Amino acid sequence: MGEKLDVKQGTLALMILRTLDVLGPLHGYGIARRIEETSRNRLTLNYGTLYPALLKLEQEGFIAAEWRQSENNRRAKFYALTAAGRKQLARETREWHQTADLIAAFLAPRRGGETP
Amino acid sequence: MRQFRSALARLAGVFTRYREDDDLRAELEAHLEMETAENIRRGLPPDEARRRARVASGGLTAAAEAVRAQRGLPWIESIAADVRYAVRSLRHSRAFTTVVVVTLALGIGANTAIFSVIRAVLLKPLPHRDGDRLVYLRHSVDGPGGNSILFSVPEVSDLRDGVRSFAGLAEYSPWTITAQEKSAAVRMNVGLVTGNFFDVMGLAPVLGRLTRPSDDGPGVPSVMVLTHDFWIRHFGGDPGIVGKTLRLDAGTVTVIGVLQPAPMFPDRMDALCNMVVSPHHLSAQMVHVRSHRMTEIVARLAPNGSVEGARTEVASVYARMQRDYKEAYDPGSHYRVSVVRFKEAIGEQARLTLWMLMAAAAFVLIISTANVVNLTLMRGVRREPELIVRAALGAGVARLRRLLLVENLVLTIAGGILGIAAAIGGIRLLATFAQRYSPRANEIRLDVTTLLFALGVSVAVAFLLSFVAALPREGRFGSWMAAGARRISGTVRRQRLQRALVVAQIAVSVVLLAGAGLLTRTMVELSDVHTGLRTEEVLTMPVQLVSFADGNFQRIMASDAGVKNDYDRMMREVRSLRGVVGVGLGSTPPLRGSGTGLEVKAEDKTFAVGAATPRADVRTADPEYFRAAGIPLLKGRAFETTDRLGTARVVVINQVLAEKLFHGEDPIGRRVAWTGDIVRLTPFSPDWRTVVGVVGDTKDAGLDAEAPPVMFMPFAQEIALGGVLVIRADSNAAGLASAATRIAHQIAPTVPIENVLTVAQIKDESVAPRRLNAELISLFGSLAVIIAAVGIAGVLAFSVSARTNEIGIRMSLGADRGRVQRMILGEGGTLLVLGLALGVGGAYVGSGVMRGLLFGVAPHDPTTFVGVAATMALIGIVACWIPALRAARIDPATAMRST
Repeated sequence: MGEKLDVKQGTLALMILRTLDVLGPLHGYGIARRIEETSRNRLTLNYGTLYPALLKLEQEGFIAAEWRQSENNRRAKFYALTAAGRKQLARETREWHQTADLIAAFLAPRRGGETP
Repeated sequence: MRQFRSALARLAGVFTRYREDDDLRAELEAHLEMETAENIRRGLPPDEARRRARVASGGLTAAAEAVRAQRGLPWIESIAADVRYAVRSLRHSRAFTTVVVVTLALGIGANTAIFSVIRAVLLKPLPHRDGDRLVYLRHSVDGPGGNSILFSVPEVSDLRDGVRSFAGLAEYSPWTITAQEKSAAVRMNVGLVTGNFFDVMGLAPVLGRLTRPSDDGPGVPSVMVLTHDFWIRHFGGDPGIVGKTLRLDAGTVTVIGVLQPAPMFPDRMDALCNMVVSPHHLSAQMVHVRSHRMTEIVARLAPNGSVEGARTEVASVYARMQRDYKEAYDPGSHYRVSVVRFKEAIGEQARLTLWMLMAAAAFVLIISTANVVNLTLMRGVRREPELIVRAALGAGVARLRRLLLVENLVLTIAGGILGIAAAIGGIRLLATFAQRYSPRANEIRLDVTTLLFALGVSVAVAFLLSFVAALPREGRFGSWMAAGARRISGTVRRQRLQRALVVAQIAVSVVLLAGAGLLTRTMVELSDVHTGLRTEEVLTMPVQLVSFADGNFQRIMASDAGVKNDYDRMMREVRSLRGVVGVGLGSTPPLRGSGTGLEVKAEDKTFAVGAATPRADVRTADPEYFRAAGIPLLKGRAFETTDRLGTARVVVINQVLAEKLFHGEDPIGRRVAWTGDIVRLTPFSPDWRTVVGVVGDTKDAGLDAEAPPVMFMPFAQEIALGGVLVIRADSNAAGLASAATRIAHQIAPTVPIENVLTVAQIKDESVAPRRLNAELISLFGSLAVIIAAVGIAGVLAFSVSARTNEIGIRMSLGADRGRVQRMILGEGGTLLVLGLALGVGGAYVGSGVMRGLLFGVAPHDPTTFVGVAATMALIGIVACWIPALRAARIDPATAMRST
């Protein structure tokens, strides 16, 4: 297992939205699993991080929650992307790419070939 | 939008927390179970699987807490929790809470009530447009009744033409008219105004229109604008009033509008009319004679004008008038004009009294706050263990401070609310009281500003309370806890603060008591003042049989005989009532002035150049008047039935006038006469009259003023301009009022009969404002003393309980009970002496400002000061004695074991 990272401020919401976009309606455990797997276990999410973020997204109207039977017949609260959430995901994805490009440009090796 | 939506959701979360907590718990449990199941699937034993899942979760409770923080608004919730906690903890110390809330309610209530009066009467901007640009002109001379002699029409025009600082002059002439309504005749006080009046005053109508320049002059219809107050009071706010006509004694007048609510000065007015309502006001005499002064002036400053500039200009214009018309300005009387802001003129009478009441109320608040601070300090000591535990569990200083602040806010706001409730009751009483002083009294109410004032005071007190308490400081928990709460409670700083507060309470109480004492002494002195009358069992009934409405003296003279006949009939019938001892008739009731003063000269007597010519109140009296009114005859004779039209002119003068005119020589048989420029405007002859009698002085200008000089003429020898029946009863004069009024109504059905008062009532009315002053300040003073006594007893009792251990040791080492008692008494006594000394000093310095409110007692009256100090000392000693007795009863064995 490599170095463990904390979830960066603001990125968790994007990860959750993206997860729900790819996998469809999912419960909290499933979302956590998926994010940890996607990060190849470099990220760990405890409940105290995950559930407030889910609630915040729900309050903002980007996701909706519903109690349902899970695949192995357990009752669980499932979160699904709303129309607003889909739009928000597109917007945040675009912004994230722009930011990433910008940071990458800043961190690019200098012309002289030296590394900072 | 997004922020708003989530804010709404969070706010909703504050209220739905319990339901959602179950939901959250179920969700987290489900998560935990899924994770455990996954771990088991991977091959872990169930216990280990569950343990790992729990570790990964980071703690269910912590998670739930984090979600809750996101769900609601955490700070609201924690404050709500603090409030709940505060209420619970205050409910546990019920006695403390009650004392604090009631004490604060008294302080805040008194201040809120007085402040609302001050705001309405003195501070609030006038309802007039740009009301701060209005100034009032006052024309004065020396001598009684000379404070405001009004202006004549020529004077008004000189001022209007000569003073550039004025944009306009509003003139109004106070006048009385009688409106004949179906059920009764109604006397109305009106102002006769010129067309520009409302424009200059900056007032608007709420109904109809106001007068305008086209309503000026003769030959126009009579019109009337009702004041808002009269419209509500008399016409019940009838919206259809405009266009109605009122029947007057002469002619009719049409109501053209209703004025916005506005204070009328100097007297209340029921309506404002154009000049044509009174033919007299358009007569040559009114318009051309410089000494015929019947007009008040309010001026509006020009945009570039200032009060100072106006003063200078008015002074120079007035000096020119005095130069050009010497006969109208007797140099000995010191004619002068002053210019004051209209708002200040309106507040003038109330200012001193109200600020004194405000100061007294503030003192009560200071004392009650000091008491509450003391109580809080003591309670704080008992709470120290609790605070230490809280600090040890991680509450920071700021958090503890907030806890205290919330608790104190709950206390003081409860006090504030109770205080406001008390103020609502008090304000009504104060408004009635303020009626006597200010035409703005009807503006007194509890409005947002006064409520904010009460709230502000409550919050300020809460902050004060929260910051005097010592808190366990970080890094010192160890020493605090090790020391144990009891030792910490004895910090020198806190004890010093408590003692200083007690000293301050005593000092402030003494100041208040001194004020109350001086005002009460004033009342006693006033009630000891002899009115000059032999009896007060006298009923007075003014009956105005003559109407001046048409301003026609010829007509009045022609009807004079008939009028006198009616008076005779009235007196005959009243005399036959059971209980009546005598009935007299005169122009003026006893203890009142006639309102008309004229200059008097005596034959063969000249006065030093520059000295004011003596003036006397002009009155008439019939032969029975003096005996019925109880005015003692000192020399010569009273009038007789032979003193009638056609016989020699005679007068009776009072002692003041006799002294002024004859300087101790016998006035009987000497001749006197009315004199001065103005006599020719009156129906009184300037011929010589012989003095036939001298009567005693009566306090006609109020019990607190010198008796004014008076000259009586026989009622029968002059035209009857007005009449007052003076009815002497064997007992219960007040009981005759309704029967006498009925008789007057029968004989003169179109005449309003008002102000039927006994002499005792007239006297009482003249001292009523002072009595209320004295009562209010005494009330505040007693409150202060009670609160201060509770304060001193409480602090000593606390000191005793904190020193129980020490006292136990002293007693076991041989100190007897008396010694212990003396020790505690000594402790209280020192505070008492210090407080008394400071208080007497403060009262000595402060009482000077009250000079204007006192009568018959000097501001530094030693008797009052000694009495006040003795009273306070006595109460203080009693307050010290109770805890001292308790200290003496301490059982040394128990005391030492209890530590």
